[in-house]
Amino acid sequence: MVSPGQAAPIRPEILGLYRALLRAAREFRDYNVREYTKRRAIDGFRENQNLTDPESISSAYAEGKNQLAIAKRQAVVYSLYAPKVKSIMELENPADLIN
Amino acid sequence: MASKLIASTLRKTLTKAAKTAGVRSLSNATAAAVSTAYEPQEDQNGITLKGVRIAGRPLYLDMQATTPVDPRVLDAMLPFYLSRYGNPHSRTHLFGWESEVAVETARSQIADLIGASPKEIIFTSGATESNNVSIKGVMHFYKDKKRHVITTQTEHKCVLDSCRHLQQEGFEITYLPVGADGIVNLDELRAAIRPDTGLISVMAVNNEIGVIQPMEEIGQICKEFKIPFHTDAAQALGKIPVDVEKWNVSLMSLSGHKIYGPKGVGALYMRRRPRIRVEPLINGGGQERGIRSGTLPTPLIVGFGSACEIAKKEMDYDHKRITALHDRLLNGIKEKLDGVVVNGSMERRYIGNLNLSFAYVEGESLLMGLKEVAVSSGSACTSASLEPSYVLRALGVDEDMAHTSIRFGIGRFTTEAEVDRAIELTVKQVEKLREMSPLYEMVKEGIDIKQIQWAQH
Repeated sequence: MVSPGQAAPIRPEILGLYRALLRAAREFRDYNVREYTKRRAIDGFRENQNLTDPESISSAYAEGKNQLAIAKRQAVVYSLYAPKVKSIMELENPADLIN
Repeated sequence: MASKLIASTLRKTLTKAAKTAGVRSLSNATAAAVSTAYEPQEDQNGITLKGVRIAGRPLYLDMQATTPVDPRVLDAMLPFYLSRYGNPHSRTHLFGWESEVAVETARSQIADLIGASPKEIIFTSGATESNNVSIKGVMHFYKDKKRHVITTQTEHKCVLDSCRHLQQEGFEITYLPVGADGIVNLDELRAAIRPDTGLISVMAVNNEIGVIQPMEEIGQICKEFKIPFHTDAAQALGKIPVDVEKWNVSLMSLSGHKIYGPKGVGALYMRRRPRIRVEPLINGGGQERGIRSGTLPTPLIVGFGSACEIAKKEMDYDHKRITALHDRLLNGIKEKLDGVVVNGSMERRYIGNLNLSFAYVEGESLLMGLKEVAVSSGSACTSASLEPSYVLRALGVDEDMAHTSIRFGIGRFTTEAEVDRAIELTVKQVEKLREMSPLYEMVKEGIDIKQIQWAQH
């Protein structure tokens, strides 16, 4: 939670969070989760790009920070139990594999 | 051949077991040998399981059977598998207290999603148990005055089977037919009501065809006749707006694993005003006010609660996206194939469920050919049988079309690329099967198949 007295995050901080989320998304070994995390981060920032009220900016920022922490932890968990075989969506030359 | 296979697997396992003797005791070796015979063999080149070889893990389009656990849900659950293992019913120490707080938080998260009070939520093992306790429990409790239940022909197997069980006990059940669009006729429902009707049970979103029943209207009828209304909302929760007041339900079955939560947990909503009472199925320590005894599975409940909270927050976002993917899939297939029919109403349906029939194609062959796409012909519960779905038959779908149905389930984690690949593979497979089909050839020549008199044998 952000305390009311705290100043709203400045632009470089917000961009830093955005980049960190995209970086965290890339770490997911699971195809679907990776794509979702990336997409959700992009769409989330797009949704909030016109926020002007410092309080809502602060709370959106805090929410993003929270999501980043989850993504970092879960990327590790997913990597611990990643299946040996990838999704067919990730295979190099899928056309050859379809019979 | 089979014995050779078992022998070789056995030998492999025994050597493996010997290597890991520290982990697996000898007495488990036989059990391990039996199970490894069915274990998937994975290597860099693909997976082999049940004699099917696939180059990669298939793309998953079976969201009505179950959904993947959302990483945010797992993140909420994991602490309760590690240090916070207390029994939520323990009143004498911190372990119990922290688990109890977590369970009660989850209860409010679930209640919040359906517009109920946390006091009206009873945790169960899943929607099947909730349905069982709703139907059998209510009728057993009020058995002196109420002897009749109304339900529909397209309900989930566990509702129908609970009703069959009641029938054997001497209760009477009316199975209402549905229209060709899968929707129940309200006048027929009204006409079926008797003075001794004790329960009306109609599911919110159908698991096979995705049609949404007119819940508010049915709720009104139940209110008018003062009959308890039960609904199986396992497929509706988190996907369409669910409001127990608007629907006027007395009982509602919910499930965790259909909304990106864990399997093995569900809930039963039980109205407090006017109060509905049930006879418990499971007796014991008196947990959940005696309606469902047994220690609550804290990690699962925390996951279910978290899944509900996320579902509420993400409902609009997910809905927009799933609608776009649904349109992409349907248009993509219809553009390239003729003779494709959507089963169930087009107007009143949950958009993440697309049940299609492909004319002149045999459904099982299509499913077998689509091994890179994880889809099903209908309900997972009945996918083992070759019988056409009873839901589609209730809709009056012709036998041949009912045999060729495929249910595509789109969810939160489905991508555009997956939908495109599914279209490509489905079209390819259907075209291949139609090429081999004499029926399709006859249709193209202009022969009406329905007019053909097949020789009896």
